Amino acid sequence: MSEVLVSARRRSVGFLLRFVALLLVFYLIVASHPVNDAVIVPFTAAIASVSGRLLNAFGEKAEVAGTEIRSSSFGVNIENGCNGVETALLFGSAVLAFPASWKRRLLGLAAGFVAIQVLNLLRVITLFWIGIHRPALFNSSHTVIWQSVVVLFGVLLFLLWASRQRPLSAERSPTGRDRSRKG
Amino acid sequence: MLNGRAALRGLAGFLLALAFWFGFSRPYERAIAAGAQTLINLFESPDVTRLQPGNGEILLDRRDFPPGSARPGLPGPDIHFNFVLLVTLFALDRKPLRGEHVARFLAAAAALFFVHVVALVFQVHSVYVTSLGAWSEANYGPVARNFWAAGFHFYQIAGRFAAPFALWWLFGRREEEEPSERPRRAGKKKRRG
Repeated sequence: MSEVLVSARRRSVGFLLRFVALLLVFYLIVASHPVNDAVIVPFTAAIASVSGRLLNAFGEKAEVAGTEIRSSSFGVNIENGCNGVETALLFGSAVLAFPASWKRRLLGLAAGFVAIQVLNLLRVITLFWIGIHRPALFNSSHTVIWQSVVVLFGVLLFLLWASRQRPLSAERSPTGRDRSRKG
Repeated sequence: MLNGRAALRGLAGFLLALAFWFGFSRPYERAIAAGAQTLINLFESPDVTRLQPGNGEILLDRRDFPPGSARPGLPGPDIHFNFVLLVTLFALDRKPLRGEHVARFLAAAAALFFVHVVALVFQVHSVYVTSLGAWSEANYGPVARNFWAAGFHFYQIAGRFAAPFALWWLFGRREEEEPSERPRRAGKKKRRG
């Protein structure tokens, strides 16, 4: 393996270690009782509230109580894992672990968080609709399809963002594209 | 790396992975249940834990449970659906069916299997430490309770999504091909000009 490849591999592993460390730190913050009670639960309730309004706008008679959305025939409780926070943690850890300027990181974090939450709203609304009209499909749609789609969206968003950082961070990029060695 | 073709390959990979997952998740569940039971039994004396997969749930049984009592069911798909994510990420590659890439995928899939086994071990112990009332308190101290319960919670919230990404990053990306992309790009630019 050439020196360039060894160096690229080292940067790549370095990124991965920073990513895992950040993910652990963010998890500990989000899972702590004070943050969960003061931030995550109200945030999840806000998602339920917006989803309820959108569902009502589409003609479904939905009622919201805290993090629960209910209709006469179906109800869901939005929990951790369904509020988009897990994908935001993944995306945020990857963006912060990647070598880029702080301005670009913060812009990426803000834009990514909004995009992930918009998709997650679509997920909640769709799942509620499936729960009412196609209940047999709810479990697989909930656990496998939508969960995978939202996480993949977060990962692809990161890859897209990272691919645009090369001009600023080519020499340190974990993608291994070391422009100074192009020769 | 991310362009329309990669997106199409990713979509194809996602659909194939879904079909494969729906078809083979039951036998796969049996394999991870057997692995987790072996691992748990290694550190038990006597070895009482039994994991019985079936119908989308892995039934948690112990030989010392009262015969008539209900057995907790652990939802299997929550643990291993992230296989779909791994396949989709590997499918983004320019030549996803190239021999070396397939070998790297198989290595990543084997690592993910090990992650699933360990996650199930954590899930079983998180049931032991939090859900069996006085028995839990009598047999597990506060450190053990937090270790097993937080470990499985971490997997639920972040680990199960991060694992396929990390494995793909480690096994699936091909740094050695990236330098060769540059002349091709430069050539394209010249033709455009």
